[in-house]
Amino acid sequence: MKNNTKLANFYLGLILVLMYLPIIIVIIYSFNSSRISSVWGGFSLKWYEELLRDKSMFDAMANSLILASSSSILAAIIGTLAAVGMPKVNLRSKGVIEYISTLPIMIPEIILGMVFLTYFSLIRLPFGMITLVIAHTSFCIPYVYMLVKARLVGIDKSLVEAAKDLGASEIRAFFDITLPLILPAILSGMLLSFAMSLDDVVISIFVTGVNTNTLPIKIYTQLKTGVTPKINALSTLMLGATLLICLLSVWIGKLGSHHREDLKMEGN
Amino acid sequence: MKKTYVLALALVLCFSLLAGCGRSPSQDTQLNLFTWEGMFPQEVLDEFTAETGITINYSNFDFNETMLAKLQTAKGGDYDLVIADDYIIETVIAEGLAQKLDKSKLKNFGNINPVYQSQFYDSKDEYTVPYGAGIQTIVYDPELVDIDITGYGDLWDSSLKNSIGVIGNYRVINGLALKVLGESYNTEDISKIEAAGEKLLELAPNIRLIKDDNLQDDLLTGEISVGVMYTSQVTLAKLSNPNLKVVFPSEGIGFGIMAAFIPSNAPNPDAAHKFIDYILQPEVSARCFEWLGFYCTNKAAEEYISEEYKDFLTLPIDFSGDMEMIQRISAEAEEAHTKIWTEFKSAAGK
Amino acid sequence: MKRRLFECFSLAKCVAFLAVLPLFVFTFIFIIGPLVYMLVLSFLQRAEVWGVVNKFTLKNYIDIFKPIYLKTFIESFKLALTTTFLIAIIGYPFGYFMAKLDGKWKKRMMFILFIPFWTSSLIRLYGWIIIFRANGILDKLLMALNITDAPLKLLYTYPAVVVGMVYALLPFMIYSVYSSAEKLDWSLVEAARDLGASSLQAFWTISFRLTMPGLLSGVVLTFIPSMGLFFIADILGGNKVVLVGNLIQEQLMKAHNWPFAAALSVVLMILTSLMIYIYRRISNVKELEGLV
Repeated sequence: MKNNTKLANFYLGLILVLMYLPIIIVIIYSFNSSRISSVWGGFSLKWYEELLRDKSMFDAMANSLILASSSSILAAIIGTLAAVGMPKVNLRSKGVIEYISTLPIMIPEIILGMVFLTYFSLIRLPFGMITLVIAHTSFCIPYVYMLVKARLVGIDKSLVEAAKDLGASEIRAFFDITLPLILPAILSGMLLSFAMSLDDVVISIFVTGVNTNTLPIKIYTQLKTGVTPKINALSTLMLGATLLICLLSVWIGKLGSHHREDLKMEGN
Repeated sequence: MKKTYVLALALVLCFSLLAGCGRSPSQDTQLNLFTWEGMFPQEVLDEFTAETGITINYSNFDFNETMLAKLQTAKGGDYDLVIADDYIIETVIAEGLAQKLDKSKLKNFGNINPVYQSQFYDSKDEYTVPYGAGIQTIVYDPELVDIDITGYGDLWDSSLKNSIGVIGNYRVINGLALKVLGESYNTEDISKIEAAGEKLLELAPNIRLIKDDNLQDDLLTGEISVGVMYTSQVTLAKLSNPNLKVVFPSEGIGFGIMAAFIPSNAPNPDAAHKFIDYILQPEVSARCFEWLGFYCTNKAAEEYISEEYKDFLTLPIDFSGDMEMIQRISAEAEEAHTKIWTEFKSAAGK
Repeated sequence: MKRRLFECFSLAKCVAFLAVLPLFVFTFIFIIGPLVYMLVLSFLQRAEVWGVVNKFTLKNYIDIFKPIYLKTFIESFKLALTTTFLIAIIGYPFGYFMAKLDGKWKKRMMFILFIPFWTSSLIRLYGWIIIFRANGILDKLLMALNITDAPLKLLYTYPAVVVGMVYALLPFMIYSVYSSAEKLDWSLVEAARDLGASSLQAFWTISFRLTMPGLLSGVVLTFIPSMGLFFIADILGGNKVVLVGNLIQEQLMKAHNWPFAAALSVVLMILTSLMIYIYRRISNVKELEGLV
């Protein structure tokens, strides 16, 4: 048993190292003095200086973060509710709707972007953050929906029934029993959605407005002059910030759990 | 736990609202610039804002076609100034999405190099101001190549097996085969295009990669020894390795122009004129072109371009070549082009 | 019958109906509209220069049967299958082991796994390029370990593309397997072991069965995007592997042939759905019902 755990941990570690390998290289090359992205020209901080001067880069980053959080949260709400509710409704159209709602991830982004552009202008939605959020939510929902659905399978229905027998309302039973049980799946779906949204460029370019450039748009449209290590510098900063937030949340989580334990003690 | 989620949600909503309302500077002092990312050095943009008080809102597109689709949905509005490639501007003007320039507001208009003016897309220079030209050349590393490359025909040499990198623009690459066969880039004769396709299949074994971005990296690291690439990439490559050889192909030279135009319903055409005039100033223009790495389309700027860059940004004085621009062709010919291009790519993958 | 009618009006049904309502509304307004437009587009004629002519034609669908275009479908399909297969092999154990970690580490792992995907995919691909480059990091490592004695020239080959695809889509599988393995009742496995089952037997009869839905949804979640992904093949494969996504982009953005691009997308959509349908039938898992 002990050996098995060791082997498992070794495997997890190995895959993680492989996953972080390109990221480490991205970080190293952000200090590259050469503009050529794959030739090492010596250590320099000039890309960080360039980055700090470019205010539009930070505007774009802010837009991207707002967009990714809004659409992943929206997708999580719509997707989770639907996955939980779907088995209980008997509407003839539900299978069809379920299928159609997954189509956005089966169609190549570029054509989806194009038809969204035409459709939004047809229904007279002004292009900007709203259209971006709608388009991104459309391809995020399937991920949340499928993960939550897979998780719901085999969840002990008797638990929910028992809660209801004890007088809990449908809604109460959902919040107290079902939600905690499917939370890992919702979180997984949200994280995937967040990452997908944060990285999407093709659809975004079509549905963005004048004032809502996103970060990937800025990165992918450097066609005429080539991508500079400025983007590496930005990625490094973003990674640093994420790490900081993660550490902070672990810290806050610790505080929170202490607090909860205190409460428990009082309860006892 | 629940509270945290609600709080996060509320925060995000607030952020979105702020982003929606917070950033709406008044129309007169904002210029909505719509082009690829990285077309101007940051200092030039900052100095323009400092001098005129007009802030620049820089938004980007990837392909010319995306720009046209967006401009069409906006009915020529939203954006004040667009910089795009020649062939798409022809369509933009034909669709009535561009407005004529008010040359009384452009006192530096005379600085433009006439070589790059009065081209097919704007024959009377009413709508556009060129901003950089790309000229199709061949770049190679003489240390890795045994033969002397003088034209496109040499790319078929068997010693170059699996060592050529080309850009992913099919009109340029198919056109290269057309040129070798002595045809025009813009031929609409299907049989000639198909002949070029046959010819390209013979080139396929020599192709190591086809890609648009950062092709110069592959030449510099020895991944490929010969490249047919964009002008800015040639400039970057030459700056890093001066030993590379740049060849103006003997079969004839293709070139393209990027140009700025003002959309028909631009919210702030005044600011757009000011910006065009600003970047037409010789010193500013020289800095822009050194940054951009495309051929300088501003005659007056040439004397300000530093020696280091002169060779790549200006044409040689004794330059005489058969120059041809890539233009729009019939839908049928376009279809033939995409077909032979797809065949060429999958043959290169074998 | 009477009972069912009554059920429809019960409170529970009402709540369930309200729960699915947002998805219905969203799908009706924002998905069906654009899809119908795409479908219509695929039957129209291209305009000479830009846009479309409102004339019905089947030419776009007939054109797909040209051998060169059929081949791109087969290529895409092969790549998607290879990718999905490898991801399942690599990702399943990862998600499974991850679920076995203790509570604190489980949560941490979720974020550790996620952080690389905060950075732009293009930048990550550049990282791979630097690794794969001739005389790059991988070559130097392999040569130092005396495994190879000359640069491998791995970049711009098919294996490089597969590595890139697996890398990009692996999290979908991991998260999916993890979220279904996490609810596994380990005492069941223990019980089986106590009853004399080997650990492999116990895994096969209990754990694997119970994590099947996660694996299956993971397969679906990786297979679908891998049919349409093409820029990895462009960047790591030197554009020599022609995929459907790539073809669609070229038709839209370079050839201005929107109807043909739409037709290609419709066919791709149908093929992907069909694949998943067949897969569902073969795997015959009831839980997958309605997944796609």
